[in-house]
Amino acid sequence: MTAINIQNFHKFYGSLEAARGITFSVQKGEIFGVIGPDGAGKTTLLRAICTLLLPDQGSITINGLDVTKSVGEVRKILGYMPQRFSLYPDLTVHQNLQFFADLFEVPLKEKNERLQQLYRFSKLEPFKNRKAANLSGGMKQKLALSCALIHRPEILVLDEPTTGVDPLSRQEFWEILHTIQKEGTTILISTAYMDEAEQCDRVVLFFRGRTVGLDTLENLKKKYPYRLYWLKAKNLRKLLDFFQTLENVRAIQLSGDTLHVGFDTVPAAGDWQAWIKATAGNLEEWESRPPSIEDVFLDLMRRPQ
Amino acid sequence: MRQILAMMRKEFKQIFRDRSMVAIIFLIPVIQLFILANAITLDVMHIKLLVADLDNSRVSREMIQAFSHTKRFDIVGMTRNLDGIRRDFRSWRAQMVLIIPPKFGRNLERRLNPRIQFDVDGVDGNTAGVALGYARGILTQFGETILQNPGWRASLQGVHLISMEERMWYNPELDSRQFIIPGIVVVLLTLLPMMLSSMSLVKEKETGTLEQLIVTPMKKYELILGKLIPFLILSYVELTLVMVIAIFFFHIAMNGSYFLLGELSFVYLFTTLGLGIFISTVTSSQQQAMFLSWFISIFIILMSGFFIPIENMPDVLQKLTYLNPMRYFMYIVRDIFQKGSGLKYLLQDAIPMTAYGVFVLSVSVLKFRKRVE
Repeated sequence: MTAINIQNFHKFYGSLEAARGITFSVQKGEIFGVIGPDGAGKTTLLRAICTLLLPDQGSITINGLDVTKSVGEVRKILGYMPQRFSLYPDLTVHQNLQFFADLFEVPLKEKNERLQQLYRFSKLEPFKNRKAANLSGGMKQKLALSCALIHRPEILVLDEPTTGVDPLSRQEFWEILHTIQKEGTTILISTAYMDEAEQCDRVVLFFRGRTVGLDTLENLKKKYPYRLYWLKAKNLRKLLDFFQTLENVRAIQLSGDTLHVGFDTVPAAGDWQAWIKATAGNLEEWESRPPSIEDVFLDLMRRPQ
Repeated sequence: MRQILAMMRKEFKQIFRDRSMVAIIFLIPVIQLFILANAITLDVMHIKLLVADLDNSRVSREMIQAFSHTKRFDIVGMTRNLDGIRRDFRSWRAQMVLIIPPKFGRNLERRLNPRIQFDVDGVDGNTAGVALGYARGILTQFGETILQNPGWRASLQGVHLISMEERMWYNPELDSRQFIIPGIVVVLLTLLPMMLSSMSLVKEKETGTLEQLIVTPMKKYELILGKLIPFLILSYVELTLVMVIAIFFFHIAMNGSYFLLGELSFVYLFTTLGLGIFISTVTSSQQQAMFLSWFISIFIILMSGFFIPIENMPDVLQKLTYLNPMRYFMYIVRDIFQKGSGLKYLLQDAIPMTAYGVFVLSVSVLKFRKRVE
């Protein structure tokens, strides 16, 4: 069953084209990641899905409902958490939740029970009388998530919810998302953190307003066409300069204290010896590794569109 | 309905949580009223009068006395040096000089129609004109009194003098506060709703909460009503507060119907709240909204007849004031307060004001989009 269907979505800001023909669909019950660097067009797409923006071209449907026509229906189905914290800083945690419960018309009988549930998973109950402005980054995100979930939306849209949140809170946040998924909610999440792709069932890779890859992470990695090695050296920069010139090398990038090099064919033992010699002993270690999401993404990004 | 109530509750909580906001709403208007009511005075009093009595006769001395007996003039000195007048004007020692020429008294007795001269500092044209008017009045009266003298009467037998009796209607003491304070009421009902509504809507834009409101199933009209009703209520609280002070403290005469005033205020608030929404749709930060509100307010206050009578403006500007919603309400409020006019007499202002309100509010509501740019 398709939850979100996007066909040939285009959006212009003046002469700038923020989205250039995006097509993909999200299945019911999956956690779907929109991965890409800043400025790739993630927020534009998410806003259009949430009826905040009108597409200039193409169509978006939620459960088969056109987001430009059945605006009211779509807003009832969706829960949206924008990139910036956008609750009322001068109201308390409880007042914010109450307010959105009323706006989403959560039935009065269920309201209290729902608030209790949300407090249980967000662990925000001890802070219910604290002003939202005085919460920590992680707590703010949990409050924003609670407000987005207040009306039990079928589909949850999250725009970079973990940006600027400490690693521990990020992990906790993802645990909450997995719990929500188990309850049957479809989750569309955008992030600039590549490692968060691992938490998604399927991902779409965004670059400059286009989709450059769409699949499960597993499959994307399988489709990686080169033999990848992680190299260590005394001087990585010099090593990078050296390997860049080799004919056999198709992909190369620095990642922390290793150099990731993708070869066309598996290098022979003799090749490695020759390279040690050629770099005057700069090359110290090498190891064959499966590609990481960064390797996959960088490769897809560099391909001609 | 539930959503509108939730919006209203939230709005009140936000307003009362913010102390500076409460001060802006309740304290500042009261302070304004006290200061402006006393500062903006159109009465011309204590005009500094310098006297050059070159005649020094009984008549000239009596004339000077006539000037010294009124609060309107303060005699600041006597001089015989006409060349010094320029200096006295420059140093603000004198605003007006009365010059009685030599032999004035004798020439008057001989029916030679002697003339006296007034030199007036014309920098503030309005005051100068009013001062001259007062002087003329004093001289007329003075003329009448000297004619009562037996000696004069004998020589003027058969001359009929027309005497004028002045009756000021509605404001017999010509107290300018009776005129200014109702004007301040109008200014408050303009500034407060316009600024509060524009600022509060733009604040939602700034903090990103508008985005959050947009994705709720709440309808646009519910959002706007929930936003505006609190400010409507606050405007009425404000109106009541200012009226109480005006009537009990400043003893402003309220000759008309409170109900009618309340009703027409409601119509006027359509315009000012509508302007607030409009401002919020064309600005993206509170500073911008504040600046634009000020810009608009200064224009509409100056062009409303609040302190500059519209009748005194050049023709083109007078016509331009018909575009100013405040102009209509200014007439209405002053007429209700001072003349006690009923709706029948106010229709010529009430109809265009209503049309204006409906127009501004609908344009603003249409321009307000439940989308982001």
